[in-house]
Amino acid sequence: MIEIQKYFLYPSTLFASHTPTSVNTILGSCVAICLYDPVLKIGGINHFMLPLWNGQGLASPKYGNIAAEKLVDKMLLLGSQKSNLIAKVFGGAEVIESNIKVFNIGTRNIAIAYEMLESLKIPIVAKSVGGKLGRKIEFNSFTGEVKQRFIDKDASKNNLV
Amino acid sequence: MTNQLSDSDLLAELKQRFEENKKALEDLKNLNEELIQVNKKLEESESLKSHFVSNITNEIINPFTSILGLSKAILSVDKENWKRVFSMIALIHEEAFSLDFQFRNIFVAAKIEAGDIYPEIFTVDINNLVDSVLEAFKYEAKKKKLIFKVQHHERLDKTKSFVFKTDPEKLKLILSNLIRNAINFSFEDNQIEIKIWVSENDLKIYVKDYGIGISKENHTIIFDRFNRLDSGINSINRGHGLGLSVSKALIDMLKGRIEVDSEIEKGACFTIIIPESDAHSEGFASDANETFFSDVEEF
Repeated sequence: MIEIQKYFLYPSTLFASHTPTSVNTILGSCVAICLYDPVLKIGGINHFMLPLWNGQGLASPKYGNIAAEKLVDKMLLLGSQKSNLIAKVFGGAEVIESNIKVFNIGTRNIAIAYEMLESLKIPIVAKSVGGKLGRKIEFNSFTGEVKQRFIDKDASKNNLV
Repeated sequence: MTNQLSDSDLLAELKQRFEENKKALEDLKNLNEELIQVNKKLEESESLKSHFVSNITNEIINPFTSILGLSKAILSVDKENWKRVFSMIALIHEEAFSLDFQFRNIFVAAKIEAGDIYPEIFTVDINNLVDSVLEAFKYEAKKKKLIFKVQHHERLDKTKSFVFKTDPEKLKLILSNLIRNAINFSFEDNQIEIKIWVSENDLKIYVKDYGIGISKENHTIIFDRFNRLDSGINSINRGHGLGLSVSKALIDMLKGRIEVDSEIEKGACFTIIIPESDAHSEGFASDANETFFSDVEEF
């Protein structure tokens, strides 16, 4: 059994490492893309809140388009070949109900994740997206496995991002 | 079954469809305009980024040159002129201080853009923290004859100090940026007001200066990276336009917000509002609340 360290991933940040790590994060309308390299047995994950960076503020991985590119860059930096990478996508729930299309952040976050992965030519091998419930996921960077639990709506009104 | 439309029905229907088309076109036009705007912004941001390196070269090389020159001068001062050393050391300190500050912003900005930064929550004595930031800017303020007027938050029970759960290092940098701006943009011989208070579990701090101010249309631009309203060669203000964008991103990370109240020539008041961090429920969802979760699925 391989010793595995734990890491909590905050929104707008990303993680990728050679060290086998169990990465936890909590998703509401945010989306997390997990990238895994089955050859090197390493993985990386991001956690973005909004779909597109529009030139305001810093170009941080708070935004899907930036977060996807930066995560791939980081994996390549760790020695991965882009053609070996596979992706899993989670999150994008509509935790706050709204009839106005522009506000459907979850849906738009999912769409940008798909678009970015397609343009980067990284196949999506698994996903759990949308719905109305938040998710807690645990990504094993050594095996690429992701464990997911839905979060009961009333029990956790706060702290969803 | 006959399905005949009268002429007027037909006209009405056609009219309605025309209207819909027109509206769709209008929407499209608006979207296009938005896209053009965003594109322009991105281009600007990229070109600012490339200028940034050349701008920053001056910002770093100049202070270094002064520091080197001054310390060399100190080495060659005669013993009888030792008093001159004081003023030179003051200058070295000033240059090094501003350099240190620039670096801090640059490194934090790089970390934010790399997604490699997270809150580190402690129980913080806020009054103390604000005082220590002001202490660091004492000389800068003195140079422009500015006085800090601080209104601390007092607890009802005065024997206990006022503490708040947040990230002290991030808060320090946020405040330092606000205070540095307040000093830079103040007119001489004035005061800078700082007030700390708590309402509804939110920590609020404002920094108010009496200086050149910011026009309404520029209230959002100031938070963009590398953007400075006045960056001409004759600009009296140094800096690289990273401070406020860094502060904004850090405040975001602490789930807070920042408000600006300012008009040209009427000074500026920046208020930060930061909720108390709930470090227990934040992250590390411990086994204690696993009961809230449904069954585990594997992917």
